[in-house]
Amino acid sequence: MGNIFSGIFGRLWGINKEIRILILGLDGAGKTTILYKLQMGEVVKTKPTIGFNVETLTYKNISINMWDLGGQTSIRPYWRCYYANTAAVIFVVDSTDKERMDIAQKELHMMLKEEELLDSALLVFANKQDQMGALSAAEVSKSLNLVDLKDRSWSIVASSAVKGEGLTEGLDWLIDVIKEEQL
Amino acid sequence: MSYLESRLRKFFKLPHKGETYELRSGLVSQYAGDRKDAIERVIGAMTVGKDVSALFPDVLKNVATHDLEQKKLVYLYLMNYAKTNPELCILAVNTFVQDTEDPNPLVRALAIRTMGCIRVDKIVDYMEIPLHRTLKDDNPYVRKTAAICVAKLFDLSPEMCVEQGFLDALKSMIEDSNPMVVANAVSALLEIEAANRDTKVLVFDAKILKKLLLTLNECTEWGRITLLTALAEYKSTSEAEASSIIDRVSPLLQHENPAVVLAAVKAILMHINAIPQESQDSLVRKLSAPLVSLISTPPEVQYVGLRNIRIILEKYPSILSREMRVFFCKYNDPLYLKLEKIEILVRLVNDSNSTVLLAELREYAMEFDTEFVKRAVRAIGQVAIKLEKISKKAIDVLYDLINSRSEYVINEATIVIQNVLRRYPTQHISTIISIIADINLDQLEDDEALSSYVWIIGEYAKHIPHLEKILDGMVSQFLEFESTVQLALLTTIVKVNLTRPSPNTQKLLQDTLNTATKEVENADVRDKAFLYWRLLSLDGDSAQKAVMLKKLPPLTSTIEKFPPALLNELITEISTLGSVYHQPGYMFAAGDAHTGGKVQTKKLEELQQLAKSEIVNNTVKAENLLDFDDDEGDSNSANADNGASNNNILAELNDLFAGLSTQPQQPSSVSPPPPSSEQSNGASSLFDLMGGFEAGASQNGAANSKKPEEDLLSLF
Repeated sequence: MGNIFSGIFGRLWGINKEIRILILGLDGAGKTTILYKLQMGEVVKTKPTIGFNVETLTYKNISINMWDLGGQTSIRPYWRCYYANTAAVIFVVDSTDKERMDIAQKELHMMLKEEELLDSALLVFANKQDQMGALSAAEVSKSLNLVDLKDRSWSIVASSAVKGEGLTEGLDWLIDVIKEEQL
Repeated sequence: MSYLESRLRKFFKLPHKGETYELRSGLVSQYAGDRKDAIERVIGAMTVGKDVSALFPDVLKNVATHDLEQKKLVYLYLMNYAKTNPELCILAVNTFVQDTEDPNPLVRALAIRTMGCIRVDKIVDYMEIPLHRTLKDDNPYVRKTAAICVAKLFDLSPEMCVEQGFLDALKSMIEDSNPMVVANAVSALLEIEAANRDTKVLVFDAKILKKLLLTLNECTEWGRITLLTALAEYKSTSEAEASSIIDRVSPLLQHENPAVVLAAVKAILMHINAIPQESQDSLVRKLSAPLVSLISTPPEVQYVGLRNIRIILEKYPSILSREMRVFFCKYNDPLYLKLEKIEILVRLVNDSNSTVLLAELREYAMEFDTEFVKRAVRAIGQVAIKLEKISKKAIDVLYDLINSRSEYVINEATIVIQNVLRRYPTQHISTIISIIADINLDQLEDDEALSSYVWIIGEYAKHIPHLEKILDGMVSQFLEFESTVQLALLTTIVKVNLTRPSPNTQKLLQDTLNTATKEVENADVRDKAFLYWRLLSLDGDSAQKAVMLKKLPPLTSTIEKFPPALLNELITEISTLGSVYHQPGYMFAAGDAHTGGKVQTKKLEELQQLAKSEIVNNTVKAENLLDFDDDEGDSNSANADNGASNNNILAELNDLFAGLSTQPQQPSSVSPPPPSSEQSNGASSLFDLMGGFEAGASQNGAANSKKPEEDLLSLF
């Protein structure tokens, strides 16, 4: 009985509700590293993700379902299976990979055109800032044509997953946007 | 925008579209509980046979969970529908790999098991790491699951199994400390071997044999069956080895699981020939009790037991001779069981127990189930033919039955009487003739029974009262009979005309030959009539008598026997499906399950070679487009072989017909008729010419199947 009531009330106030966030990006951008850095606070050794990882983390009293999808060319077509009910997208870019910036730009804009993602916020991590020759956030933003985005709250944050820099700032911004929209 | 507002907006924007829509929105719900509910409902729909494959990507998303229950359900779904969405399966790979590192051994085993069951090529490439890891797992449950997985992988990609060393890992698992793991490793190896007949992967040495024998007593019943099967396949090298195997296996004969008992029986029988004769006999006697124990099981299991017992009984007729009463039919046995029990009973009968059995069979013949009664009547005949001492009594029983029972008994009894007469041509004539004389033609509906009846009156023409009247009646409806009856009637009329000629029979003969040659459409009947006509128009009746009045070879038994080659094969198939079908496994299970890929039938050593040559071929192909690859070459040569053998058959046929047309007609050089097979095809009805009648239950037809051409030629 108690369970039923807590279920009903929880639902009314949105307490048990999980916010779904997707982490996307080309292969080797650092998506899995970011996910586990956020969840466990550790840098884990990763292998290319064939498929996906999903972890639940509680951040500022909100339970977040964070989906990290594999970024390999063969898996990218299946990203769309995960778009439903997504509150926000985190797009991770390898700031040192100048050659593939163009591909990243195309994938990003193609994804954002999907109907299911029209309402979701976008956070771009210009990752791998700890490495030599990394582009700055502004440069990445330019390469990705982020200014073209309309009707969408978006932000770009320079980050380093291995050092843990920029991740919480980015997430803070994202949570604020989501709270504003959904609660 | 408030939460409520957004909910409302969604509610209005997306109308409900049936069950699939509802399930889908449940699967992607933002509430963990809702998702699990939806998964449960999806599995529910799946198990009642609804196609929920459209939900594949949405169910798949839920695979990454720490809830074991939910994981099991999603895995179940994946196994079922992987084939419908092969390319989406790789989305689960990451979870599989992670789960094989889970601290919970159940999860590790579940992951590798499911991965093995997803029989999709794309998954195979990713199995390497998790399979290696689970094969070396600390937990035996995980290891034993991984062992089976190797067999599954081998089916999909034998090259990979060999190259990655999975096969060797599997072989070394036989020496594992855990009996479950040993049993599963052996089971996997057996399966690989069964699917690849020419591959020897399960190689025994003394050490492995000892290990298996020791493990035998430690594992579960299913493990025991596996090990017993492996032991049965092993060819013992010495007498000592064989007797040590038998000693170790014998205690399992008392096991309560009938499958274990049968597997143990099989293992013993496979090694029995290696031990001295006198211990063989005592050993066979020891098998009686365990076999009898199979009869105190549920009907389905009993049936399997009985089918197996029949094989063993034929190989070792002395076994069970004291246990006949166990096989008596119970009133509530299902029909298939009763019929099978009668099969065993007629094989067990001997002079000492025949009276009891006859009384029992008589009881069966008084039952009301048609099939059962017919079988009982036939069994009475079988007993009479098998044992001369009881034959008089048996015929008396038949006589009683015919007088008291309905038509189907009479039909069956007529067939039986024909066989009895062929076994005892003169002994019981007085009783039999009175039976036959009482039979009214209208009572015979079965073609076989009619043919038998016609044969009897032809053979015993002198004893049959009112013969001409009976024949008159039959000839007048000649065209209404089936061709088998027509053939028999033709022969009988010709015979009667030779043994008891009268003006009336002359006229009957003329009429019959006329009808048969002019009005009958069946080619066999026409040909036979023409042949008789030709024979009868020859001068002098010595040739006619030599052909037409030739006696059939006497019957010695009407109990079916397996051909020796088949019997030996069936002995090796005890406790398998083959023993229930009484057919070697490859006859009915040669399907695609195991021989799907051509590659799998090749030897293991060749596989690596093949992989290499494939690469070379591909590079060559790029340069030379006309080059065929290996497989095409093979199939071409196979086709050529087929063509050649077809040509051979055609050539033989041509020879045969050439012989027929050129040989002069020499009726005097007639050879005794070969026993014909039961089918009344053109050739066999030609043989009947001499025998006068088709041998209803000739036993050695198969053995003689090569002879017909020669005999056919010598006939003319």
